[in-house]
Amino acid sequence: MGICYSHITLGLLLVICLTGCERCNPDPCDPPCETLATPYTLEIPPFFPPMDIPADNPLTEEGIELGRLLFWEKSLSADGSMSCGSCHLPSAGFAEPNVYSTGITGAQGTRNAMAIVNLGWASSYFWDGRATSLEEQILEPVSHPDEMALPWDEAVQRLQEMPTEANDIDYPSRFEHAFETSVVSAELVTKAIAQFLRTMISADSKFDQWRRGETSLTDMEFAGYEMFLREGGDPEITPGGQFGGDCFHCHSEAGLQFSDYLFRNNGLDSAFTSDPGLAGVTGNTLDSGRFKTPTLRNVALTAPYMHDGRFQTLEGVIDHYNSGGLPSSTVDPFMKYNSGGLMLNDVQKERLIAFMHTLTDTAFISDPRFQDPH
Amino acid sequence: MKNKRNFIRMRHHVLLLASALFVFTGCDEKPEEEVIPGSVLMEFNLTWNGDDCAIGDVQNDHLDHPLRIDNLQMYIAPVEMRNDRGEWVEIQDVALLDFGVHGQKITAAAEIGIYDGLRFGMGLPPEINTDIDPASYANDHPLSVPGSAGMFWTWASGYVFVKYEGKFAETTGSQLLEPLSYHCGTDESYRSVTFDFEEAIAVESQEVQAFSLSFNAAAALTGPDDSVDIVQDPVTHNAQGTILGARLMDLMDDAWTLNPL
Repeated sequence: MGICYSHITLGLLLVICLTGCERCNPDPCDPPCETLATPYTLEIPPFFPPMDIPADNPLTEEGIELGRLLFWEKSLSADGSMSCGSCHLPSAGFAEPNVYSTGITGAQGTRNAMAIVNLGWASSYFWDGRATSLEEQILEPVSHPDEMALPWDEAVQRLQEMPTEANDIDYPSRFEHAFETSVVSAELVTKAIAQFLRTMISADSKFDQWRRGETSLTDMEFAGYEMFLREGGDPEITPGGQFGGDCFHCHSEAGLQFSDYLFRNNGLDSAFTSDPGLAGVTGNTLDSGRFKTPTLRNVALTAPYMHDGRFQTLEGVIDHYNSGGLPSSTVDPFMKYNSGGLMLNDVQKERLIAFMHTLTDTAFISDPRFQDPH
Repeated sequence: MKNKRNFIRMRHHVLLLASALFVFTGCDEKPEEEVIPGSVLMEFNLTWNGDDCAIGDVQNDHLDHPLRIDNLQMYIAPVEMRNDRGEWVEIQDVALLDFGVHGQKITAAAEIGIYDGLRFGMGLPPEINTDIDPASYANDHPLSVPGSAGMFWTWASGYVFVKYEGKFAETTGSQLLEPLSYHCGTDESYRSVTFDFEEAIAVESQEVQAFSLSFNAAAALTGPDDSVDIVQDPVTHNAQGTILGARLMDLMDDAWTLNPL
């Protein structure tokens, strides 16, 4: 009996040894287990900051490819005529070349569609920042009545029922490979598209190449870069003024983002009843007329400019800053020259524009990984 | 025979004991006995000549100009406390204060001990101002690209130490349309703020010592030795070495109050 008792006790102890010590044997699924999809390693370009990728939506080969299919999928619009890519054209730096996008009903938007570039580093989305994640941003255009106008339940049903005669993509199978479920949902659609968008990285413009020591800027381009980094204003009037372009404050070169992703009123208007900007989201009147600072990457391709696409050319944009803009109770302190503007002459403007052209990344806009696969 | 049975039983007991010892001591991840530090909770408040105020409030400055502060952000680095051996012990390397956040707090671990003083650098010390690429920090660090959004000048001039921005009018009753934009920085503008505690404080293991600091935004414009006229001097970017930025940093150096514990 004693021996038997000892054996049982020994056995129990062995079980405790092998299973009882939590720290010796951590839960293999805490943090969550990865899916069986193939992990995708994102290459962070030199001088760029790390990209924060949501833990519940890691990048995978299958997820990115599915996202690309969905980004260009016209079945996600009510009449099957529009995809996300319809308003984000590669030739326009993945932005909307028209002032406003026209939805499937013929209705027009109220703001110029922003360029899709390096979105994985942005901290908010839309001109007014109302979406705080890419996944959240992607939810909106599909069901928006003035855009693709397809309720999400219908969108999901369409994808679930594919392949069809008209569309031979087996989406349920694609979802199975990417997310281990063939059940399509709006959440998984947005996750897949977000994965794809996070891979849309522009880091090979002439400026990037120069920064990496691979090429030279022309004298004109370099002089423009110096203008970009100089404080604006006459030093006799503005302490620290350097007759510069004063661009770097908002279009910060930190991390080579060329935007600080903050919100500003850059003096376009003196009243904001038609479009309150950030104030429409926060309800704070101090945010009236404030809009997100867009990146300058590919800026030469992404006309028209500003949230309402009011300027057709870079010259028009610089002329605005040269004028100093309109005063208002919320105009940004960086628009500190609203009584005189930057006072740049034609040569200085030309230099600044030459520099902005160095931010054009033709390899990015023609990258086959980002084009329409349908 | 009996001896042999006893021997077997004893062997099993030894084996059991060894197994039990293994179970209770074998997991080598058991942490060594360590001293758990205490912590310090610092609350930062904005005042206007002693009264609580908030970003967006309109105040009158020392020359009676109505002024609304729209943004007040500031780097402090490092934050240190003086122990009873007279040594300054770092409790926080760098923090970005944003007075747009009401009652913002910093909690920092502190070694157990007695402390009789507090000091912090206003701005960033030279070794972290210009020599380190913001992209090299993790994104949740205050000096990272997203963490320093709006507070980074260029690689050459480094970070903005203090942003004091708003709108003002020359006379009371007028609409506040004139932009005020004080951006102070550069290594030469780095200042140190030091306080002696009225009574020494004891930081004990796992205990929190709390105190608050007030920044008087009015005193950033006027003090015993200097005053700034916001109408005459509404803008500075002392990345270019202007005198106004340094004057403002001197004024702000004296604008802090350590509130009684």
